[in-house]
Amino acid sequence: MKLTRREFGKQVIYSAAALSASLSFPTFLIPSAARSRVVLARSEKLKRVNHQLSEENAAHFLDQAVVKITGRSSPPAAWKSLFSPGERIGIKLSCLPGKPLSSAHGLVMAIVRGLKAAGVSENHIYIWERTNRELERAGFDISRSGLKVEGTDAYLGDGYSENIEFAGSVGTRFSRIMEKVDALINVPVLKDHDLAGVSISMKNFYGAIYNPNKFHRNNCDPYVAELCTHPMIKDKLRLIVCDASRIQVNNGPAFYPKYAWEYGGFLVSQDPAALDYIGWQIIEKRRKQIGLKPLKAVDREPKYILTAARLKLGNIDEKYIQRIEI
Amino acid sequence: MKNDQLTRRSFLKYAFSAGSICSLALMEGALLFPAVKNDEFIREAKYYEKQGEKRVTCKLCPQECRVADLERGTCGVRENRGGTYYTLVYGNPCSAHIDPIEKKPMFHYYPTTEALSIATAGCNFVCKFCQNWEISQKRPEQVHSMKFFPKRVIDVAKQRNCKTVAHTYSEPVVFFEYMLDCAIEGKKRGVPNVMISNGYIQEKPMRELCKYLGAVKIDLKAFTEKFYKEICDGTLKPVLDTLLVLKDEKIWFEIVVLIIPTLNDSKKEISDMTRWIVKELGPDVPVHFSRYYPTFMLKNIPPTPPATLHQARKIAMDNGVKFAYIGNMVSDAENTYCPSCGKVLIERLRYHVITRGMKGNRCKYCNEIIPGVF
Repeated sequence: MKLTRREFGKQVIYSAAALSASLSFPTFLIPSAARSRVVLARSEKLKRVNHQLSEENAAHFLDQAVVKITGRSSPPAAWKSLFSPGERIGIKLSCLPGKPLSSAHGLVMAIVRGLKAAGVSENHIYIWERTNRELERAGFDISRSGLKVEGTDAYLGDGYSENIEFAGSVGTRFSRIMEKVDALINVPVLKDHDLAGVSISMKNFYGAIYNPNKFHRNNCDPYVAELCTHPMIKDKLRLIVCDASRIQVNNGPAFYPKYAWEYGGFLVSQDPAALDYIGWQIIEKRRKQIGLKPLKAVDREPKYILTAARLKLGNIDEKYIQRIEI
Repeated sequence: MKNDQLTRRSFLKYAFSAGSICSLALMEGALLFPAVKNDEFIREAKYYEKQGEKRVTCKLCPQECRVADLERGTCGVRENRGGTYYTLVYGNPCSAHIDPIEKKPMFHYYPTTEALSIATAGCNFVCKFCQNWEISQKRPEQVHSMKFFPKRVIDVAKQRNCKTVAHTYSEPVVFFEYMLDCAIEGKKRGVPNVMISNGYIQEKPMRELCKYLGAVKIDLKAFTEKFYKEICDGTLKPVLDTLLVLKDEKIWFEIVVLIIPTLNDSKKEISDMTRWIVKELGPDVPVHFSRYYPTFMLKNIPPTPPATLHQARKIAMDNGVKFAYIGNMVSDAENTYCPSCGKVLIERLRYHVITRGMKGNRCKYCNEIIPGVF
């Protein structure tokens, strides 16, 4: 029943972080030292056929994207600059809507190729989501040996860490897979979300905690951003590859063909706020094209992206985002 | 890299959970809880409105969650599937135990009897001090659950000589449909059901429940909106409204207030609360002041000093509450005293209860009527 020294220290740190965040001037107006790179790959070859994406095509464009992100001269050098042999890498997918609007299998396998090029052993790669069922419905075969494909629910107990972790006003438990891996690659899908506004990279981590249903009010603000300040995410997230082969601009997160758009692309970045901001703008532009109101006008502005910038998770001012198209 | 290994603590926890389920399963001499098929426990929810484009708005509790297709409400146990809202936990409790009714706590409703006590996962609050967070804050797929449909619940209650069935531990409002059907079945067969709740429910479903329940216990967590918002993720006003509905429905109910140092223990707050209770609900409603212990997300405040609880009880009694108790610690304030002659009517030492001075529902010394169901 007593507060341990470790727990006390943790609570003090998070309280201080939350306090400083709440007191600070909108710091997203103050640029980070370096510009954030967001690579946008688009091609007819990146459109889905029967809900799937060609692994070959995805790998071709992804290799180019990581070269641009890292500034290295070749794809192997780029992948090696991001990941090291011996590291355990978690690839967090987004599979709630089923095959039509989940992280495409071909894109995920292209990421696995890149990791192998960096010397990461297949045994050390964990492709994961909340549940085995969600993975299977998205077209992934469950595997616990070699290249691992498994849901948090396949792990001990309920699959989540024993201790409650705090990040601002969020109190939660993380997937045990998050504890197990050294680095994370986040593979969300670019889509609308009926409460959050948009669900892109940061919101995808609601699938990494045991109680996401507790953080949906006020357009998920500040909860999404605060969650992403936790070291379990902030310190481990190394790359985001956002599937935009097919995007959805209204009525998400379930697949709703009426609002889907065969965009034929993906976004790559290391800055979650910048990537989400660019993704949000893509959704807004398409909404306008098809006669939908801006998200703000329908009380669904994704304010958590602004909060993320305020919490220094990344840049959302386009002056400080280097947008690279391939 | 030991995270998926079983620690000694985890092993004991799972062994204990499995043991408690097995003990209930075996007590009937047969397997009570056969293998679970998920879809067996899914029923269309009551009290929601369909909106356009497969959205729904839940009308069960004051959260009024707007829920898109494939998403769940804040309770985590009600899900929108293609524009229809479902409860995922019908007949699927994760806890089933036989407890003394005093453990709820409920002191004026069949004292000394036992209650078959059940709960599913889920809650519509996030109380930072929740003692049962390991079920209340989880989703159904994150707990070990059992098949236990309403008819079987009442069968087992009768076989085990349980006077009542208690919907408790987590938050029964979120498993409304299951609780309602248990209460209907129980009323038919002479096993009243009791709801142990935070009272965060809309008026219509509460009134429907009142037709079938035997009694209700409400956790009045504080008397300020600030506390409800910051500590529970809820609001106070709907809870007070529920208490007024219970009074209006003339169902037996008791109130529990968990006193947490510095958060809800001021003399003024206790006084305001108990004056409201006496004025709006009457002096006969028992009020239990419970001792808080650090847990879940509130570990940096020490347990409530006994003196604070005694002070709260005195304030309540000075304000006219006739039956004020102290719980979660041993004291003579667990006893029921006759408000007229002052003699001990029911003596309690935790869950050891002796009814010394009762004759039916009256004080055997002075013939005063004692409110409740005895």
